[in-house]
Amino acid sequence: MTSRERVLGWVAGLGLTAGFVMAFGVAPREATQGNVQRIMYLHVPAILVAYLAFGVVLVASVIYLWGRAAGADRLAHASAEVGVVFTSINIATGAIWGKPTWGTWWTWDARLTSVSIMFVIYLAYLLLRAMIEDRERAARFAAVLGIVAALDIPLVHFSVYWWRTLHQPATLLRPGSTPMDPPFVLALIVNLVAFVLLYGYFVAKRVRLLRQEQEVLA
Amino acid sequence: MPDNWSFVLAAYGLAALVLGGYWRRLLRRERELAARERRRGAARDEPRPAHAPPGPPIPRR
Repeated sequence: MTSRERVLGWVAGLGLTAGFVMAFGVAPREATQGNVQRIMYLHVPAILVAYLAFGVVLVASVIYLWGRAAGADRLAHASAEVGVVFTSINIATGAIWGKPTWGTWWTWDARLTSVSIMFVIYLAYLLLRAMIEDRERAARFAAVLGIVAALDIPLVHFSVYWWRTLHQPATLLRPGSTPMDPPFVLALIVNLVAFVLLYGYFVAKRVRLLRQEQEVLA
Repeated sequence: MPDNWSFVLAAYGLAALVLGGYWRRLLRRERELAARERRRGAARDEPRPAHAPPGPPIPRR
């Protein structure tokens, strides 16, 4: 483990602890939903970090196709993997929140469906990489899929505006000011920063491991 | 609305499991690669014999 990774890991750990304290110690109990609303401090940052991760896949894929830089390919691979982890957390925590709030674990709502499609597309991306033995070909095909898959990100985000959905509209990434009170916003932002740091730590580690794997197999 | 602490606990527990599981997977892969690298290094550093041992005599016709 490099010293930069170690520092990032510790900072991410501290961030997660701060996020936990904010979610349970500082943010008040929400008046309508009760304490189950505290799940939002996981659910919302998880999808925002997944957007970030898949955005990085898009940019790194374009860079790879442009100049065949192996580093960009490794970054795309690592970011897709970590993005899938955060999307799975978003889907699972959303279902757990949905049961007491909506009365169901799952519904074929436009937001839920488009997020699930995004999850499956990036799983297919990882599967594609694993299935093709020739590394250069796998990287090229994955880069194309990484670019096409990114089209689903705006579809996920704007689905709540384009279709009539059970899922509420965005609370943080919305035009104008947020309707939430400051303690809720603060708790959400602290958790978001912690998740971004954790994303950075995981991606840095995974990129280094991918480089080592390629050196060992060479 | 009831507080539904069990749902809150389940959500946080599941997230911890997923993130912890992924972290452990990375650590395991790191250890595997380090071990493989050590084995490769040891194989490289192993002294090779100066010349091949003599084989059986070739029968003359």
